[in-house]
Amino acid sequence: MDDTGRLCQALAVRLHTEAGTGPMERALARVADGVRLWVQDVPGGADADIAPALRERELSRPADPRTGPGLRVVLLRYADGAADLVVVAHRAVLADPCDLARWLLGEAVEPAVRAGEAAAGREARLRSALRDLDRRPAPEWGLGEAGAATVGHRGFTVPARGRAADPVALRAALGLVLARCTGTSEVEVGVDAEQRVAFSAAPGRTVAEYLAEVGRAVPAPGSAPAVGLTVLPPAEVLGGDGVKAEPLDVRPFLAPVHPLSLRVADDGSTALRGECSYRHSAFGDAAAEWLTGMLATAYRALTTAAPDALVGGLPLFEEEQRQALARLGGLGRTPEVPDERIEEAVARRAAGTPDAPALVCEGETLTYRQLDRRADRFAEGLRRLGAVPGDRVGVCLERSTDLVVVLLAVLKAGAAYVPMDPAYPAERLAYTAEDAAVPLVVTESESFPQPEGVRLVRPAALEEAARDGSGGPHPVPSSAGPRALSPDDAAYVIYTSGSTGRPKGVVVPHRNVAALLAATEGDFGLGGDEVWTLFHSSAFDFSVWEIWGCLTTGGKLVVVPYWAAREPDRFAALLADEQVTVLSQTPSAFAQLSQADRESRVGDSVRLVVLGGEPLDTRPLRSWLDRHPERECRLVNMFGITETTVHVTAQTVTRGAALAGSRSVGRPLPGWHVYVLDPEGRELPPGVPGEIHVGGAGVADRYLNRPELTAQRFLPDPHAPGPMYRSGDRGRLLPDGRLEHLGRLDNQVKLRGFRIELDEIRARLLDAPAVTAAAVVLRPGADGDPAGARLDAYVVLRPDGAAGDRGGDGEEVRQHTARFLPAHMVPATVTALPALPLTPNGKVDTARLPLPLTGALDAAAEPDEQVGDAVESRLRTAWEQVFGFRVGLDDDFFALGGNSLLGVRLLAALKAAGLPGFPLPQLYLHRTVRRLAPVLAAEGVPA
Amino acid sequence: MNGVLASPPPAPAAAPGTSATDAGQLAGKAAVITGAARGIGRACALAYARAGAELLLTDIGHDLAGVPYPLGNTDQLAHTARLCQELSPTATVVTAEADVRDLDAVREVVDRALDRLGRIDILLNNAGIAAPSGKTVQDITPAEWELMLDVDVSGAWRMIRAAGSAMAAQRAGSIINVSSTAGLVGYRHFAGYVTAKHALIGLTKSAALDFAPFGVRVNALCPGSVRDDGAAEGRMLSEIARSLEVPVAEHEETFVAAQPMNRLIEPEDVAGAALWLGSDGSRQVTGSTVTVDGGFTSR
Repeated sequence: MDDTGRLCQALAVRLHTEAGTGPMERALARVADGVRLWVQDVPGGADADIAPALRERELSRPADPRTGPGLRVVLLRYADGAADLVVVAHRAVLADPCDLARWLLGEAVEPAVRAGEAAAGREARLRSALRDLDRRPAPEWGLGEAGAATVGHRGFTVPARGRAADPVALRAALGLVLARCTGTSEVEVGVDAEQRVAFSAAPGRTVAEYLAEVGRAVPAPGSAPAVGLTVLPPAEVLGGDGVKAEPLDVRPFLAPVHPLSLRVADDGSTALRGECSYRHSAFGDAAAEWLTGMLATAYRALTTAAPDALVGGLPLFEEEQRQALARLGGLGRTPEVPDERIEEAVARRAAGTPDAPALVCEGETLTYRQLDRRADRFAEGLRRLGAVPGDRVGVCLERSTDLVVVLLAVLKAGAAYVPMDPAYPAERLAYTAEDAAVPLVVTESESFPQPEGVRLVRPAALEEAARDGSGGPHPVPSSAGPRALSPDDAAYVIYTSGSTGRPKGVVVPHRNVAALLAATEGDFGLGGDEVWTLFHSSAFDFSVWEIWGCLTTGGKLVVVPYWAAREPDRFAALLADEQVTVLSQTPSAFAQLSQADRESRVGDSVRLVVLGGEPLDTRPLRSWLDRHPERECRLVNMFGITETTVHVTAQTVTRGAALAGSRSVGRPLPGWHVYVLDPEGRELPPGVPGEIHVGGAGVADRYLNRPELTAQRFLPDPHAPGPMYRSGDRGRLLPDGRLEHLGRLDNQVKLRGFRIELDEIRARLLDAPAVTAAAVVLRPGADGDPAGARLDAYVVLRPDGAAGDRGGDGEEVRQHTARFLPAHMVPATVTALPALPLTPNGKVDTARLPLPLTGALDAAAEPDEQVGDAVESRLRTAWEQVFGFRVGLDDDFFALGGNSLLGVRLLAALKAAGLPGFPLPQLYLHRTVRRLAPVLAAEGVPA
Repeated sequence: MNGVLASPPPAPAAAPGTSATDAGQLAGKAAVITGAARGIGRACALAYARAGAELLLTDIGHDLAGVPYPLGNTDQLAHTARLCQELSPTATVVTAEADVRDLDAVREVVDRALDRLGRIDILLNNAGIAAPSGKTVQDITPAEWELMLDVDVSGAWRMIRAAGSAMAAQRAGSIINVSSTAGLVGYRHFAGYVTAKHALIGLTKSAALDFAPFGVRVNALCPGSVRDDGAAEGRMLSEIARSLEVPVAEHEETFVAAQPMNRLIEPEDVAGAALWLGSDGSRQVTGSTVTVDGGFTSR
């Protein structure tokens, strides 16, 4: 970066002499008095093409007071007698180059030229101000390219309707733009290298109040702002002594002083002319384009609004720009969606390829014909048991053939299924059954609660009911006739747990699922040759994608049994045995599979991995890509929400993206579109993070029985018919239309007054070369004491990393984060775990993260259980030494990540603590502290 | 401040190494070339102009007592500047006359360059004399000896001394000292010249180490026998022939025969190497000696 250019100003004037060249010569003779005049004779007249280029060259050439006078006066003398005078002056030397020009032309102005030590001192101060300015991190919303050395320029116009530029309104307009981009109403605008103005652009004030405050704001020392603004007053002809000088160009800086510097000038036409120069290291071209566009709109709005209008309501985007933003977010790409219900699509496949395998589960295979017929029988059973179209039917089954058949049967019966995971606590199951008002729950579970008015049936009972017509207290309604079924009917109601409060049922119609397949089928090349897995619980909507994605495109669905979903090596073996081609995984589960793949390679059959359900950190994917290159296996990261039908966007993860740690989740699927809005629901330009809103073909109907919540989250789509869903996810659009997902809005926690993004800390942990997976939690102090609250981080370390004991590695990772994060964001503890605990849905289960050992030693940790005796206590301490985190008396050694190597370490720790050893195989028999302690006692522990 | 806006500034210069052709290779760079009135200096100036550089061209502008042939004069310097301006109409090309033996004059040249061009990215120390020569070493007079060293070595040192701090402050730059094959091997009856050109390589290597921390590169360029080119008005070869008291044609023939590539060096050949050393294409090259001698010193 040319710092000298940032501190120089330049002026070009066209000289007109009234009579001959005498006056000009006289005027220029003054130059000899102290300033060197450079004369360049230009072949060609002042109108020649070369003239502006030469003038530009002079105007953009800095004058450095450290190597010269810091001042340059050049006369470009054209062949036709015209001449341009260009003055370039460093701010340390001359405050206003116009004064110098006036003086040269004979006006009675004494330009205050500083020289020698005065200039050197001021130069040093200015340069130090620039350094302060440059130390500020580039604003993320600027979308700059770190390390880029180039400077961008963009001209723009500001509508002025023939009025003079209003510097206050311009500054106020920029304030509105910056408030929108930074997400805070307290804004700062740079005036020059050393000064800024600060004011509040709070949305609740009136235009008159706001303009008054901006007008009162005085420049104060400080160089924090990312954006600077200079407003130049209208041009004024200089001259005297027979010479007139018409200003051609005035530049308050030759290179952007601030990361983005704006100048706006009034040239007497109906629009003000602006010039935006910006360092690519801080601002991308698109950011500059949006920012200048918003500035022009905001200025027009401010100068035409009623004085009592609220500034929060002023538009920052013209209608055309709003449309452009919507298109950037994917609006307008709508593929043709078959007007078909899910079971109709499956039936179509069954008719087309009746003998193709549809479903495989632990050795049992159903063809499409078998699947269809069995589902028909089950549906008949459901009808006989009283299910009618429009009903909701609970399904609480482990992954099995029956599960899939029952789900299809429910749809065939014209009802919507309400999936429940048998692993859920009884209370939650009861709540779901009651809230969804299901008359029937199909389950094998003995422990399913018995809510009133809900009938529990086994899948086998459906078959029986179909066969003998028995069972129902409700007769089959015949008089009313079957209700016409429509793709607009609900297909399923999936309960999602919100961050607060009760789980809520999301009602998703058939049409949405058809749209999802229409949007992905072509791009993913889904067809009858594919083998899919059903890995996820039916209560997690990733399974909607797995089941109906497969069965409506004619593929073979391999039901992954419980044990295989829990053990990555066995799952890997299943993938190879079944020659699975399409795999859907959460990133956490995929990390474990990838780990297993490193030890024993997963076969080559998988050609598409769909990652979803959790934010993806792409960096750990590199090791998978090493073994499964892009051309053989495509990795697609899909951002999705239950309320928008599984997926919203898709991003193929390339090695390049993985190397760059890209957070892009890609463009919306055709038919889906996204908006990024601020908390007031106003549009944000690309680069600026806000809340992701999703519109289009995937938006669910509503929350069941929750009209208020539905009204809060499902809002009218501003650009398309139907609702848009307010996701609670933080993200930003990139200038190319891809979406970056930046975590949950409610993942923001507060620690000792600081607002902290847990996802940001997690991203830093993942930066550490040794870390393959990470999680961060805010742990409250004992008895909820906020002073004792701290951040605990958990990491999974690369097994081939520099070995050493786990604690030491954790500390290294902690120090790594301390290099990038402010002190209040550095985790208090970093605990290395063999794997992160996962929920049944495959997401990180923060509730099951162990207490860190460091934390357990201080008073803040709660005594979670009574320690029976001294042996147990000492044994537990030894375990904790080995694992590096707090363990419970009943924690299983192997479930904690123990192995024979750690067993050997445990023996060493016992020895060091003066405890007797034990034969290692005993550890396999007595896997907890509580059970191992008697073994030690038997060996004879000294009391 | 009063004023209006005109056209936006031009796009920034292309990133280093992106230009495949000479055009634009030195865009935005300012160069000072000594001995620019004719010969290799003129050829380099033209190459630099074609590559988009801003130029300050300097030469002595008068003859020197003790040098038995005419030196670059005012008209020749102006002619070089005019040719450069024609090649690059929007470039700033300024001239200054200075004797590189005069420290104040040298400083004035550098000040002028910094003042007018704002910076110095390339310093091409090309000024030098080939004669008085043609004597065995014991016959050289003290005045002849001192004159030769004063111009050919100390002249380059004076220029580096004057421009060095500004270039170091820029944290970038390229200094090119035009030495000779006489900086690498000896020639009979040319002890003064050979000594000076060898010394110039020593100066190059030391200066390269001094400037390396500041990102300024220093290299020596060693042309072999350069043809006296009509357009460049060079006369080195004929002066050497005259010093040796042999006909120019015979001298040329001797050199052609001694050159593995069997041809004399053209001034443009030297300019090509000087262009590369001045450009970012050679950004990791410093302290080196680049020969443009058709293989002469490889024998």
